[in-house]
Amino acid sequence: MATPGQLMFARGLGPTARLLIWLLIGLGLAVFDSRYHALDGLRSGFSLLLQPVREIMRAPSDVAAELGGFFTRHRLLQKERDTLLAERARLMVNVNAARELRRENAELRSLLQLQTRPGQQVVHAAQLYRGHDWFSQRITLDQGGRAGLRSGLPVVDAVGLVGQVGRVYPASSEVTLISSPEQLTPVLIERTGQRGLAAGSGQNLLELRYMPAQTDIRPGDRLLTSGIDRVYPAGIPVARVTRVSRSQSGPYLRVECMPLAGLDRSRAVLVLIAEPQVTTQ
Amino acid sequence: MNTPTQLFGSWRHILGSLTLAVLLEQLPWTGWAQALRPDFVLVGVLFWTLHQPARIGFATAFFLGLLADFQDGAVFGQHAIAYVIGVYLVLFLRLRLLQFDPFRQAAQLFPILLAVQLVVLLVGWLAVNPPAGLAMLLPVLGSTVLWYLVAGFLRLLHGKGLQDRA
Repeated sequence: MATPGQLMFARGLGPTARLLIWLLIGLGLAVFDSRYHALDGLRSGFSLLLQPVREIMRAPSDVAAELGGFFTRHRLLQKERDTLLAERARLMVNVNAARELRRENAELRSLLQLQTRPGQQVVHAAQLYRGHDWFSQRITLDQGGRAGLRSGLPVVDAVGLVGQVGRVYPASSEVTLISSPEQLTPVLIERTGQRGLAAGSGQNLLELRYMPAQTDIRPGDRLLTSGIDRVYPAGIPVARVTRVSRSQSGPYLRVECMPLAGLDRSRAVLVLIAEPQVTTQ
Repeated sequence: MNTPTQLFGSWRHILGSLTLAVLLEQLPWTGWAQALRPDFVLVGVLFWTLHQPARIGFATAFFLGLLADFQDGAVFGQHAIAYVIGVYLVLFLRLRLLQFDPFRQAAQLFPILLAVQLVVLLVGWLAVNPPAGLAMLLPVLGSTVLWYLVAGFLRLLHGKGLQDRA
């Protein structure tokens, strides 16, 4: 009895045989990719193929946003301008203070004969596509190797840390978000300076791991990058603690944090290109 | 076979619809739409496997699966394996599926789509790490609804009612 679906007088292999062949090829690819990372060329090929398509497909929503912006009410714009002006004034004060601090810092550093911090170069990038993967959370940016990006660079938006550049293609790159499962970010608690490790939970939340039960931490505390990992520069805001609870079983606290950066909202991000050096030797 | 097979399904239709499916997946989906987003490419491949098994089958499914793997930044082979298994299931149930009206067809496709998604989950689990929650099964609902809409639309287009008149 022939398998249903098989054509009468089949000329080639039956569906089951073909299924097995394709499964073998698929398994082979998966192993080559995950164990040996041997298929980056194929990825680059696909990226070249899909990059223009993605740019085009993003156009409709851009046009919609543009039109929406065109019909924004006058009063709304004025209000927005007022808040922006206020914010600008506040930021200018900060900038002046920062300039003063930088000068002072440079003097102190020269006194202490420490290396100067390298200046930071930034690349503006826009979110091109958001992955639909359930095993890690990634976004695709419209800048890649041609703009000087390389794997491992930190990505920030106006508010805080977004993630880390993963795979880099010539004209696009993938960013693993800090909330992605198993993505670790070395942080310190801004209020107390205690260092810790924030791990993504996969649901737009972070979890501060290995905090002993007597740690001084409470909801509302901000977490900054600690900069001890040579990946992220120190002092980038990462998350705010939302809940602290004592676990019944383990010796550690359960600390939940909410990322500060708009991981699923912000369209425009910055990639920081600089070798974050460890300055305290 | 008194199916609408002969009425549509030129290469132009096949390539056009599959290209459209790939394009739709490139849209910047967000929020709930993204969580529920049907797997357009999978539905397209399975649809043509059902109606044009001589033209669309394992090879197309495998290649488009690799494309999906690239899109999600997943391990190569994750979607490819799953799509190929989906094609096999459809081929296996083909004569049965062709007898049903769109609604029942979609209901029968649901377990197939679910199986495909579970294979994606399994391969990803083995190759990368445990998945975050079961939200990844939501697109199966979206895909089932999409199948119903597509199959229903094509039947209406060919002048048949949505329901089978027994």
